[in-house]
Amino acid sequence: MAPSRFPGQERFTGVGLGLRRPHLEAVAARENHGVPFWETCPENVIGDGGRPHRDACAILDRDPVLTHGLAISVGGFDPWDGDYLRDLGRFLVRTGTPWHSEHLCFTSVDGSCLHELLPIPFTREAVRHTVARARDLQARLPVPLLLENITYYAELGAAEMDEAAFITEVLEGADVGWLLDVNNVYVNALNFGFDPKAWLARMPLERVAQLHIAGHKRFGTLTVDTHGADVIDPVIELMQWTLARLGRPVPVLLERDNHIPDLEDLLAERSRLQAAYEDILAVPVRGGGHG
Amino acid sequence: MAEARTLVLQRALASLVLDPEGETFEDDPTAFALSRGLPDADAQSFRQFSEGLAAYRELARLSLLDPIETMFPITKTLLVREDAWEACVDAFLQARCVASRHYRDIAPAFLGWLAETGWGQATRPYLLELAHVELLEVLVARFPEAEPPPGLHPDPGLQDRLVLDPATQVVSYRHAVHRTSEAAPVPEARPTHLLAYRDGEGRPQLMDLTPAAAALLVRAQTESLGEAAAALGLADLAATTGLLKDLRERGAIAGFQAAS
Repeated sequence: MAPSRFPGQERFTGVGLGLRRPHLEAVAARENHGVPFWETCPENVIGDGGRPHRDACAILDRDPVLTHGLAISVGGFDPWDGDYLRDLGRFLVRTGTPWHSEHLCFTSVDGSCLHELLPIPFTREAVRHTVARARDLQARLPVPLLLENITYYAELGAAEMDEAAFITEVLEGADVGWLLDVNNVYVNALNFGFDPKAWLARMPLERVAQLHIAGHKRFGTLTVDTHGADVIDPVIELMQWTLARLGRPVPVLLERDNHIPDLEDLLAERSRLQAAYEDILAVPVRGGGHG
Repeated sequence: MAEARTLVLQRALASLVLDPEGETFEDDPTAFALSRGLPDADAQSFRQFSEGLAAYRELARLSLLDPIETMFPITKTLLVREDAWEACVDAFLQARCVASRHYRDIAPAFLGWLAETGWGQATRPYLLELAHVELLEVLVARFPEAEPPPGLHPDPGLQDRLVLDPATQVVSYRHAVHRTSEAAPVPEARPTHLLAYRDGEGRPQLMDLTPAAAALLVRAQTESLGEAAAALGLADLAATTGLLKDLRERGAIAGFQAAS
């Protein structure tokens, strides 16, 4: 799979920001924010109304935007909501996003949405099921689908493979792109005791179209992907290591969903990450792909 | 079903998160898994990863309850005082009423559950109204964008009917729930009529209405202003049309059109 399968991706490089409700009014009023692109969650925009919605739409119609879904439940069993998929398709076309990402997880069971990214069993049966669901979802979307590796805190049931094999089999079986969240890799490495670079070296990096980066927090013996703190240096270093390995300026998205700081503080953190991004891409590339 | 094991595992995790038995899951993770129809190998995995699985109960419940605690602070204060809040949210989560993928729909789902089940209302007849008024401005503020019908005119005539802005709501309560606070969460038993609407900036506004004004705003949507005013005994038609004109300028009324 060549990276060029994503027409329009050349518009997206550098470090972007997740568009969040507390900042909508300020961002809408300000064109010179310096953010090369935003990422928005369609579930938070589609069907909404009022002043914040108007601000969000003004930004989405003005600035480059990537889209990132939260709760479509790719690994679940509930049938797709046809009305939502129709609205989602229109939204993706309106934003001009070159791809749409969803999490490699399940969020709904028997019609009940848990609003949490829950882990899919690492089994052959679950791979078959998720591949079929991802292929079906891709067929219903107007842009290429990416799946994102999640943070997980437990294996769900007796595993027949490890996480790396599970993700690889799903991405390749469904023939979709990868939104690689380097913070999630780092957090999983802490919780399950593995080397994140060795883990990444096993993965199909040629499928990566975008990176995510965020902060996390330790609670007792468990590290949680909170999106509620600044990104720590080891995660920035892992982002740089990954970019060097990829040898391509894929866009990086800074996520912040809790303890959301003032816009100026968030812009400053984005600038810090942008500098790290540019530093590593200034170094001659070493090539990407497997291993 | 071909993917039966995966579905049973997902149902078991959902049960761990949403059902009361999940509270004591870590006491015997294996027994919990077996009770959910899982085979021995998966039950052993539940024991091996019990800490992480228990974290999902905490994380998912935090995610589901955060909008409820944010949107219903006075309702929560009232029930916490009576040591009933935990029982309330436990019952809500166990009922599995959150079907929407939109996070903003969690709080309305809680309100719908209160209305459907009557939970807690035998001893607190104002509970549903209190929760409703706490969410009212949010519902109005976020009402999906919609165009009013074409051909409306700005000034009311006695042969016209009124058309509310799509986001506007006229509500009547048996209690003065809009006057409560976290310090005084129990409302006075007093009929209350409110108009909730979005102003020109798209921001929610709340206005007290007299019983007559509330009745007029309801009736005059389906019959002419003259008929509605006469039925309600409103003799001062100039004052009535003045009120309606003011509400159109504020954004509560979209406009007027001839009553058919």
